[in-house]
Amino acid sequence: MVYILESDVVIIGAGAAGTMAALFAHRQNPKLKIAVLDKSKMETSGAAGRGMDALNTIALPPYSFPEDVVEHLTKVTEGVLDQEVAFTYGGLGPQLVRDLEEIMERKKGDLFPVDENGHYRLFYLHPINKPLLLPMDGEEMKRALARAVRKTGAEVYDRTVAIKIMTTEGRVHGVLAFNIRTGHYFYFKAKAVCLTTGAAGRIGLASSGYLAGCYEFPGNAGDGYHLAYEAGAELVNMECFQANTLLKDHQGPSCGYVAAPRGAHTNNYQGERIWSHGYSSGDSKMGVWKTFAEGKGPVYLRMDHLPEKTIQIIEKIQWGNERTSRGLFHRGRRQDYRRGRSVELAFAEEIGVCGGHSSSGILSDRHGATNIKGLYVSGDVDGGLPHSYLGGALAMGRVNGEQAAQYTADQDHVSESGSLRTWLRKEMAAFEAPLRRDRGLPTQWVEFKARTRIQYYLKPPKNPGYMNAAVDWMERIRREDLPQIKAGDYHDLLKVFEISCILSVGEMMARASLFREESRWGYQHWRADIPFKKPEWEGTWVVVSKGLKGMELSRRPVPAHKWDFPAAMEYSYPELAFHVGKPFEKGPNWKNPDQDLWMEKHLEKEGLKTPRRFMPKE
Amino acid sequence: MIFSNCDCLEESAYSWIEVDREKCNKCGLCLEMCPMDVLRFGKKGFPVMRYRDDCWYCDICVFVCPRQALTMTELPYLIR
Repeated sequence: MVYILESDVVIIGAGAAGTMAALFAHRQNPKLKIAVLDKSKMETSGAAGRGMDALNTIALPPYSFPEDVVEHLTKVTEGVLDQEVAFTYGGLGPQLVRDLEEIMERKKGDLFPVDENGHYRLFYLHPINKPLLLPMDGEEMKRALARAVRKTGAEVYDRTVAIKIMTTEGRVHGVLAFNIRTGHYFYFKAKAVCLTTGAAGRIGLASSGYLAGCYEFPGNAGDGYHLAYEAGAELVNMECFQANTLLKDHQGPSCGYVAAPRGAHTNNYQGERIWSHGYSSGDSKMGVWKTFAEGKGPVYLRMDHLPEKTIQIIEKIQWGNERTSRGLFHRGRRQDYRRGRSVELAFAEEIGVCGGHSSSGILSDRHGATNIKGLYVSGDVDGGLPHSYLGGALAMGRVNGEQAAQYTADQDHVSESGSLRTWLRKEMAAFEAPLRRDRGLPTQWVEFKARTRIQYYLKPPKNPGYMNAAVDWMERIRREDLPQIKAGDYHDLLKVFEISCILSVGEMMARASLFREESRWGYQHWRADIPFKKPEWEGTWVVVSKGLKGMELSRRPVPAHKWDFPAAMEYSYPELAFHVGKPFEKGPNWKNPDQDLWMEKHLEKEGLKTPRRFMPKE
Repeated sequence: MIFSNCDCLEESAYSWIEVDREKCNKCGLCLEMCPMDVLRFGKKGFPVMRYRDDCWYCDICVFVCPRQALTMTELPYLIR
């Protein structure tokens, strides 16, 4: 069953960015027909479904200004960014705070801390000398955003996954979607689409082997990256991997952004601090890698030197939102914040990509507009605004909604050709083919195989051998295994689609890593075969796009910088040349015959078959 | 609906979300709100972890239950 519907704006993904886009598209023009699709449930979906404890990168005068955001982002992206986008976001801080207080119906000083002068109290965390972190009591944020969206009268399609964005002559005109509870398809004729599907977080598989044991929301399997790529959008920084220090096995955040501003350290097993700052940039990741490489792991989050009150504050924040199972996890492992070597962290256990935590995503301008007319992006899928976390998703989500609404004002729906239904039948048949098979590979097996291959071959330090092997595996699984999957039901069918997204993202990551022939962003794009930055790659994006013969890569200079901030972090790549002693020295007689006459005889007599010499009951 | 290969619709199946059957009134809010679509009604009408391996241990099911009938007793075996 397929429903053909008409909307002005279709929002794909109702997380933080998507709900803001829906809300502000409506406020821009209340007459618009807005459809909101979420493969999950709008009230609880996405990375912030269970709340969030801070807006990690936000400028709020008088303590920090838009230029400070530009300085920070220029530094951590090592100059590979459009500073105008960073400056635009930097100026949206005060409005974002007002928006959240209004939507969540919270008073000043309740949702965010305020100091004795009545200013929002920011924390230092970032590697610049200005505070950019605003703590938030944001447990119910998603419920509040969802409530506001539903009040607008927007049509919300929960449990509905977008499987294709349709374009004509570089302009978006429709979205095909599938409901995983009912099995119904929806084709939305659309004037504009806001793509807000989050990070590609369900990519590399952590060593626990648990498929949903992800740092990111496990529904974020790279759908947006795949959809945009297939629609002809350009993606950037796919070689700048997300490789985090996380709570070992739980895969929740390492607590660094809550605990570090309150005095906690990340230490090696000897109790030594690992790096000078706790911000998750390429240099600090290099520091964590070094710790393990030198045999000084495990790594711990150390809080035993903090006052009891501070520890309780950290516990209240950590166990009360975002990943609320942390308390139970710690209890199960007998971990205690009051002991030095207790809260164990792991590093780079799951390789992925993310615009919000790193820089990888769909290339966009300061409006979130992409190279496809009518396609806007924001949040973790957005590569135009790097390292902006939840604040960027919310603020740029609003911008997306407003821009999409304005764009639709002088647009008509593209008239569908007479073959729409034929096309739909073909797409639907291909999508649900795994359901119709009598037998085949279980989805979990194929996902496990794809994600373990990604984790093994893509984890830095990189080299062409590993990256080419990753490309081969992605192509092979796509060619040989995907057509053999048997889906048991609609829920399972979603997994098949997600596997195709995972493979797309894995291939983009590997190919972009091969294309950028230098190292940059510390650990995130460390090429062991070229362990240094090259001047010719300064201020240059690697652009991934779909060409006539498959994935194409090109280089493009970022727009000229307006601000002359340092475009580098202080770190260096190590030379991987370990001294492991003197190998065994072979004596003069240490030589085997050139000819193996004995085996040659066997080969001649038996061929390659193994003779049946033993049968139990003959 | 096609849920043919189900092996977890038994309320007795291994699960880290415990349902207090005295308190649960089978309202289905936990099924509705689970972001990973893990829960379904079991054979006796109580919530069960039909898609257990998709659980993100976010505890939203526990959080939204109006009768506090659900408890997350532990984390998934592979990560606990």
